[in-house]
Amino acid sequence: MITKRENWIPYTFLAPALLTLLAFRLWPIVIGLSESLYSVSFVNAGARIFVGFENYLRLLTDRVFLQSLQVSLLFNLIVNPLQVLLALGLAFLVNQRVPGVGAFRSLYLIPIAISINVSALIWKLMLDENGLLNGLIRTWGGSPIAFLTSTEWALGSIIGIASWIGVPFWTLFLLAGLQGISPQIYEAAAIDGASGASRLRFITLPLLRRSIGFVLIADTISNFLLFTPVLLLTEGGPQLSTNLVMFEAYRRGLVYGDFGMSAAMVSLQLILIVSIVLAQFYLFRER
Amino acid sequence: MRTPTRWITSPLLAASLLLSACGAVVTPQSPATQAQVATVAPEATQPPASEPTTAPEPAEEITLNWLILEFWNPDQTIAAYQAEHPNVTIQAEKVGFADLFQQNQIRLGAGDGSPDIVSVDAPLVASYGARGWLYPLDDAFTTEDKQAWVSGALEAGSFDGQLLAAPQHTSTQLLYYNKGLLEAAGITPPGEDERWTWEQVAAAAKELAHDDVYGFSWEQTTATYQLLPLAQSLGGEAIGADGFTVEGVINSPEWIEAFTFYGNAFNADGYAPKGDTPVADQFKAGQLAMFVGGAWNNLVFSWGPPEFEWGVSRMPYFEGGEIVTPTGSWHFGVNARSAHAEEAAAFVRWLSAGEGAALWWGADSYDMPAQTAIIDTFDTLPAFDAPPLAFMRVAAEEAQVNPVPRPVTVGYLEYEQLLNAAFADIRNGVDPAEALNTAAQRITEEMAKYQR
Repeated sequence: MITKRENWIPYTFLAPALLTLLAFRLWPIVIGLSESLYSVSFVNAGARIFVGFENYLRLLTDRVFLQSLQVSLLFNLIVNPLQVLLALGLAFLVNQRVPGVGAFRSLYLIPIAISINVSALIWKLMLDENGLLNGLIRTWGGSPIAFLTSTEWALGSIIGIASWIGVPFWTLFLLAGLQGISPQIYEAAAIDGASGASRLRFITLPLLRRSIGFVLIADTISNFLLFTPVLLLTEGGPQLSTNLVMFEAYRRGLVYGDFGMSAAMVSLQLILIVSIVLAQFYLFRER
Repeated sequence: MRTPTRWITSPLLAASLLLSACGAVVTPQSPATQAQVATVAPEATQPPASEPTTAPEPAEEITLNWLILEFWNPDQTIAAYQAEHPNVTIQAEKVGFADLFQQNQIRLGAGDGSPDIVSVDAPLVASYGARGWLYPLDDAFTTEDKQAWVSGALEAGSFDGQLLAAPQHTSTQLLYYNKGLLEAAGITPPGEDERWTWEQVAAAAKELAHDDVYGFSWEQTTATYQLLPLAQSLGGEAIGADGFTVEGVINSPEWIEAFTFYGNAFNADGYAPKGDTPVADQFKAGQLAMFVGGAWNNLVFSWGPPEFEWGVSRMPYFEGGEIVTPTGSWHFGVNARSAHAEEAAAFVRWLSAGEGAALWWGADSYDMPAQTAIIDTFDTLPAFDAPPLAFMRVAAEEAQVNPVPRPVTVGYLEYEQLLNAAFADIRNGVDPAEALNTAAQRITEEMAKYQR
């Protein structure tokens, strides 16, 4: 038991984690927010000038940013439910006690073990005009699909690749949740004559609620911050159809050197993510 | 993208030593090389007689950090300079082609003094200059120094009347063709001094394209550098006179006509490949009959030649239009925040206009040198008598046929990036007028920040 005199002890143990959080999470956010209030004056030999909220006001009429916001929202509206549903399905699948499930459990984890850069590049090769997939399509008599270079397909391809990497990862958490449900509850339900569907509806899903909530929130955050596949596969194109906010912010800041606008974009997106996550917390609250 | 390469061959080393033969430093070489140098040295140009006004010899040991491309091999150049300047250590920091632009942007932008010497692509000089990132080099270079470069290079390295980045390379483009494929299709290849029109290129490419073989492509398929001459050949301008206006310029009827031709190559006519395989590799594999590419391919092919007969011809132009060739390449500049800016400027001077230029070209380069004295040696070196190095003589000539530099604008980076994206869209089948209108609108938006 901790006495009043000793209540500094937990803080001491937490200090390394808290300090790291402060240094590598909160402090950069503060820098980002402050940077978003500055601009560079080119008529004045590149001097850094304080402009207040001008960058934000400019963003409100910035066609490219507004479009990237639209793309980001559309992307997340599709990719998050899709990944959570697929992860849930995969978790049920690998939770089955059937012959060979051990091998399958190792196989489906492979995408997690491959670095995202490598898998993005491999997908790029496979989806190329002369790549594996189009080769197969040609062999079967179809005409090649411009997976990464047409507005109809590009965002879908990015969603597919992001999910190929993301789904197995989130499955792990849901699988842990599934295995945490006591078999006795299912036995009791079976004795009471509950069908498979009602066991799923009244036992599994309610007891998985926390896991699903966590996965949805963490997945949303990670997908809003998704960047690598866009950089390596489409560079935001064709015609801005895969231009996520993160990529536009990268381009403005690190390619064009307009750090103020870039920081303003990231700050706006931060506010957006926090609002969405708060809404998700509310939806998944304990009732 | 330019092809990573590295080469040290004795004839080229000899070329490299032509200039240094007159200087103090000669790195260890084989007797054969020395003999060659002895026979050709009299033709070499004398190095500048007067020394620059400031060439400080540091009193204590300093290290200069030099940010360069990963496929350059600066070891020999650095060793030679260090031997002459015992207190100076030069450390090359190598990064990839695309990363280099970003590293410059981030590190110079953040006021980081650690790259003392930076590699600057010619059209970005104004952009870096407007941001105050580069240290003026005028004090380090004599008037004679500034005459050592090919025409236009000094202007390309200057901004606001100051020399900010010293020219190291220049570039030009040639039409490369696979002789066997052309002859099999009953097409007589164009001669080295002949210049096809784009109409001729397209007609031949359509003949040449069949199942596994494409007819023609551009090496840097969606790059402003290589594609601007298409519009310019039809009389289109690259940018308005103020250095900012693109509306009505890059979506003018000339541009739309030029890029309709470009788009058709990939779509309606379909003789150009859309995939991501590097164009020069496709050519080398016999899957592409012709391409327009950098003169650097002659050097690349001299180390690993294609297994078929090939040749070069001149940069095409539109029938009835103007002949325009692209130009410009890498310059070296000094970071304005460098703690050793004067010493760094002295090194850049040695590299670009002094003895270092020949060493760099011979051992470390992959492209046309910006120094006229080195280009002149192409005519006399025996190694350049036979192809593929003989094609460098064609390139040296071609480099003087109406080379038009990329536009001078502080917003070049945005201009180029957004145009590249528009070209990629056109290649993917977007209507050229629509893509160019969008690009004009977006570039205009990005340019606004430079005017307030």
